[in-house]
Amino acid sequence: WHQGKGKTLPSVVCRPGRQQSTGPSEPGAFQPPPKSVIVDKRCLPGQETRFLSPEFIPPRGRTDPLKFKLERKEMLERRKVLCIPELYVGSILRVTTADLYASGKTSQFLGICIQRSGSGLGATFILRNTIERQGVEICFELYNPRVQEIQVVKLEKRLDDGLLYLRDALPEYSTFDVNMKPVSLEAGQEVPVNKLKVKMEPRPWSKRWERPKFNIKGIGFDLHLTEEQMKEAQKWSQPWLEFDMMREHDTSKIEAEIWEEIQASKNS
Amino acid sequence: MRGWRLLTQAGAQVLGRSSGSLSAALPPPSGNRTNICLRGKNGTWWDEHLSEENVPFVKQLVSNEDKVQLASKLCPLQDEPWPIQPWEPGSSRVGLIALKLGMMPLWTKDGQKHVVTLLQVQDCHVVKYTSKENHNGKMAALHAGGKTASRFQLGLLPKQKVQIFRVTDNAVIKPGPPLYAAHFRPGQYVDVTGKTIGKGVEGIMKRWGFKGQPATHGQTKTHRRPGAISTGDVARVWPGTKMPGRMGNVARTTYGLKVWRINTKLNIIYVNGSVPGHKNGLVKVRDSKLPAFKDFCKNLPFPTYFPDRDEEELPEDLYDKNVWQSSEPSITFA
Repeated sequence: WHQGKGKTLPSVVCRPGRQQSTGPSEPGAFQPPPKSVIVDKRCLPGQETRFLSPEFIPPRGRTDPLKFKLERKEMLERRKVLCIPELYVGSILRVTTADLYASGKTSQFLGICIQRSGSGLGATFILRNTIERQGVEICFELYNPRVQEIQVVKLEKRLDDGLLYLRDALPEYSTFDVNMKPVSLEAGQEVPVNKLKVKMEPRPWSKRWERPKFNIKGIGFDLHLTEEQMKEAQKWSQPWLEFDMMREHDTSKIEAEIWEEIQASKNS
Repeated sequence: MRGWRLLTQAGAQVLGRSSGSLSAALPPPSGNRTNICLRGKNGTWWDEHLSEENVPFVKQLVSNEDKVQLASKLCPLQDEPWPIQPWEPGSSRVGLIALKLGMMPLWTKDGQKHVVTLLQVQDCHVVKYTSKENHNGKMAALHAGGKTASRFQLGLLPKQKVQIFRVTDNAVIKPGPPLYAAHFRPGQYVDVTGKTIGKGVEGIMKRWGFKGQPATHGQTKTHRRPGAISTGDVARVWPGTKMPGRMGNVARTTYGLKVWRINTKLNIIYVNGSVPGHKNGLVKVRDSKLPAFKDFCKNLPFPTYFPDRDEEELPEDLYDKNVWQSSEPSITFA
């Protein structure tokens, strides 16, 4: 589209330089396509997905609840500045951080989230990717001020809460294209669960993933273990754990309080 | 053992009482043996002879009285306080007693992460003044009390912890007024004293940091033992040799901790690093005595911070100039 300087229109002032896109001047005139604005729908104030990030829920202990309230206040203030999207273990993220020793002073890393740990301001998540056939894991802090952007490239869940077994899996399951385009979901759709069964390297593994304490459903064990080995692993099962009443911890009241605090901070 | 004797005595008292007064009502089920030994020789607890309706009434009454007492002490101007003297080099002022709430990360403007401990000042009042001569001849002393405790637990002052602060003569305060967290300012350095977490009986590797022995290469039943405890010529063990024993539950001080932030509304001090003691434990905080921070308190409120006497109101949060606050944008290295 060249500059329409030569056009002579009867009722329009001839403007020097590039023709500004100030709306249609004539019914037949060319209108350039509207600039596509990429808006992260999950961070819009109108969208309410009712997802409470797990680092808001305080761990069990004898700490004064005032300390958790102060921490949550800081976390909510930070969330007003930086949009932290809802992320699950198994989703692919791209994180941009400020780096003093990188050219352009920023560095980007894309990877699959394998673990989310910590609570409060020190909450972290580990991203894993394979770069030039070398597996790389980086642990990022959610509330670190050097983190400039967290973009969810693909939002999905896996069958497990922790994907640390990807370290012993074939490298193809940890390789993701660094220039992947974001895959968008329609609003209102539930988060898809990827029921992928991962193939592993030959044993020995870094941990005995077949044991019931890890409770892993995302590995295809029949390709690597015999029935006898699976039965052997069940010897370490602790079936009384699900009936242990001391381990029961109902967080519904705490979650309700936290939701009220979030609403109050959004309104203020 | 002495403990067993006390228990048997207390037990005998209970049995004697109940058998003596058969017609009277039996003590309520809450009056178990442990309660009695804690009460000492008289062997009664505060709600033994109260009826069920009166127990909450007395509790409410006492807590109201305590609140009124505390509130009356909040305005020291009505009490004709002692004259405030200006700061001179070499003077030291009072400290505070604070409650350790927990720890949190904190980031500075250059992107470095530090860890801070939150210390909350709850009902810290100046309780007693001892002059130079009465105390030890060198410096005057002020007693400051910490958290208010329940009247029924102790027979003395209703303060959970009382500590002595050695103070120069120009920093004395008349007993009564409360001490606030704004007594300290961000950017200064403090020393924090507290009772360390008790670990019980511990071995020498944990207690004294000995290296122990290797795990393999033929070691027979020797992996965490001290090895030799003395030489041969001395033919005895020196007194004070490091050996296993009780570790922890001792007063220790960490020196030179920087104050990053102060919350004046909730009276919370954010102090760099870790502090001795467990969560919800009481610690003594005072200006640092290290030679690097000598005469630091010339810009600080002297002898202490009085909220009604100062002209301007302090903002809710006071930050050190290097602290990154959550409402600021993300850090970029331009």
